[in-house]
Amino acid sequence: MFNYRVIAVIKRELKEKLFSKAFIILTLMIPGMIFIFGGVSVMLNLTESKGLKFELVVENPSILLDFQTEFSKADFVTKKNYVFGYSSLKRDEFRNFLNDKKQQIINDNLTGVFFIPDSAMNNKKIEYYSKSPQNISLSRELEKPINKIFLNIFFKGKSLSAEDLDFARSGVDFTGFKVSKDEKIAEEGYGNLVLSYALSILLYMSLLMIGQMAMQSVIEEKGSKIVEVILSSVSSKELMTGKILGSAITGVAQMAVWLGTILAVSSSALIALPPEISLNVKPELVIYVLLNFFIGLVLFVGLFSMMGAIFDNAQDAASGNMPIMMLIIIPFFIAISMMENPNKPYVEIASLFPFASIIVMPARMAMIDVPLWQLILAVCINLATIYAIFPIAGKIYHVGILRTGKKPKWSEVIKWLKYKY
Amino acid sequence: MYALEVKNLTKSFGKLVAVDNASFEVPEGSIFGLIGRNGAGKTTTIRMMMGIYLPDNGEVVLRGVKVGQEFKNQVGYLPEERGLYKKMKVLDTLLYFAEIKGKSGREIQRRAEDYLKRFELYDRRLSKVEDLSKGNQQKLQFISTVLHEPEFIILDEPYSGLDPINTNLLREIILEMKQKGKVIIFSTHLMDFAEKMCDHIVMIDHGKIILKGSMKELKSKYAQKNVSLTYDGDISFLKTNPLVEKLSDYGNTTGIKLKNANDAQQLLKLLVDKNINVKKFDANDISLQEIFVELAGHENGNNGKEVRNV
Repeated sequence: MFNYRVIAVIKRELKEKLFSKAFIILTLMIPGMIFIFGGVSVMLNLTESKGLKFELVVENPSILLDFQTEFSKADFVTKKNYVFGYSSLKRDEFRNFLNDKKQQIINDNLTGVFFIPDSAMNNKKIEYYSKSPQNISLSRELEKPINKIFLNIFFKGKSLSAEDLDFARSGVDFTGFKVSKDEKIAEEGYGNLVLSYALSILLYMSLLMIGQMAMQSVIEEKGSKIVEVILSSVSSKELMTGKILGSAITGVAQMAVWLGTILAVSSSALIALPPEISLNVKPELVIYVLLNFFIGLVLFVGLFSMMGAIFDNAQDAASGNMPIMMLIIIPFFIAISMMENPNKPYVEIASLFPFASIIVMPARMAMIDVPLWQLILAVCINLATIYAIFPIAGKIYHVGILRTGKKPKWSEVIKWLKYKY
Repeated sequence: MYALEVKNLTKSFGKLVAVDNASFEVPEGSIFGLIGRNGAGKTTTIRMMMGIYLPDNGEVVLRGVKVGQEFKNQVGYLPEERGLYKKMKVLDTLLYFAEIKGKSGREIQRRAEDYLKRFELYDRRLSKVEDLSKGNQQKLQFISTVLHEPEFIILDEPYSGLDPINTNLLREIILEMKQKGKVIIFSTHLMDFAEKMCDHIVMIDHGKIILKGSMKELKSKYAQKNVSLTYDGDISFLKTNPLVEKLSDYGNTTGIKLKNANDAQQLLKLLVDKNINVKKFDANDISLQEIFVELAGHENGNNGKEVRNV
């Protein structure tokens, strides 16, 4: 199968794809874009809630001081400069107060009004009036100090030691520990989640990009009629092999650049990532992802080339290759849905399923320890799939590339399989 | 000695039999014409000879050995539908085409540059193909067909879409190759060209070979009783003349089939008597077109299915 003709085709494909300016720029731009987006979103997080203005109204004047002291020590006042106005009003008076403030809230001069009714001392239910009352980050920030105040008041006069009180005050703190085969059980931040997410997106993007490029190139060869000239020197099998390998090498090179960037960032001292999202990228993971991706590319590029051969323009091909796109898009969503809980049963199946494993397995590997036999099995299943469908794809490719004219029906494409080629 | 023998080639696409048991022989050093109307099965035959299609039946034998990759490397093939990689540079294109024929290195680069100089394309060797004019792209295509010094040149409908300058250029290349002793096979539906260029032909219609042999032999065989006439005036009276069996108008010339081969002189006298201005009177001559029509019926009477885009 490998001879000077296939190598010549591979060389040409690499020259056209891997070493084209557009491709190099795009490949380098994507990690850059990820960093820019990441940076912007971190900055947005930091700036978003600064300098908000609130009114806090308590029904019971005796607890007003507790709020003032506790809030003045809280992060959201000291660091984020939230400004609180404090007052004490009965429920009826609060109605009027709220009416007065309504215009300010609507004009964004006031972010919101908290009302702490007497009943809150028993049931901890407080009220928040705002243009956007369902503000999760705000409730998360305020929950702890307010709960602390309630507890203080509730237990005041009850004979409890300071220790008991401290225990009661403290919330539950989840610390994630990753249990793996290694001896040590490591404390884990969100780094693996980020890595899994990044792998899913990068694999998804690269598959689409390389697949589409391969299809375009087949359509171009067919459309520009060059293919018959080529076939007078090279067999269609050799041409297809060369094109697929050229595309797969291009894709793996692209992925290597991207993963290399991640590896460099995660291990570099220059860019200090916060400890919660420190990435733990093992070289074995990178090698496996690249190998798995290479096989995946061969599989997908084979299918995309077949599609390119069936149709002779990009529009027809775009609608025709929907089923193949689905084989990329669905696994991508499975991989994303896995972030919530990597132990969902369908994830394990998807990570072994042909086609799907190309995206799902690396994403799953980043989150949990996947048994070695599953890693090997996923690769073997994809290889078996290649072995099973390539004779068909090759035949359709052969018939399709020399065919022009009206868009063939699927029933005709099936008939092609019966031709002797 | 035959350079190439085509034996019992058959190819069908579904129910359509594109080539039906075709056999012919291409002699060494000949310009060989594969002649027939559009859709007759010429391209399918050539594709089978090139190994692009696998025949359902039959084989192609190159100097006693069944053709394979070895033959492909010895052929320069110019298909009817030609094309080039638009984004590739001119010189790169030539080197790539030579490389897939197994020819690479400094020698082939030098030869490519020589050809580019000869065809006045040397200055454009680093341009992208898409930046060349259509005529120059055709020149580039010719060079890529012959650069690897093939033993066989196969041209499918070579004149379709060529401008007059390139038509002459291609003819020049063909004759040059013939002088070098190469075998040239071309398919065409243009009988005039075939008649001027070929020394051997095979005629194909509806996938079947209807005629084959050397041009000379075929002509002398079919030319008896035939007169080729170029004239001014009205010759409609001949239609009812007892000397004449059939009258066929081919535009520039008229073919007249006599009932008796010895009546040619009488016919000439008749024309002169009737004040017809005879410009050319060629007894015992027949055009390829006439032979084709005689064998395959009227050109427009296309009663069968034709092969297209398969």
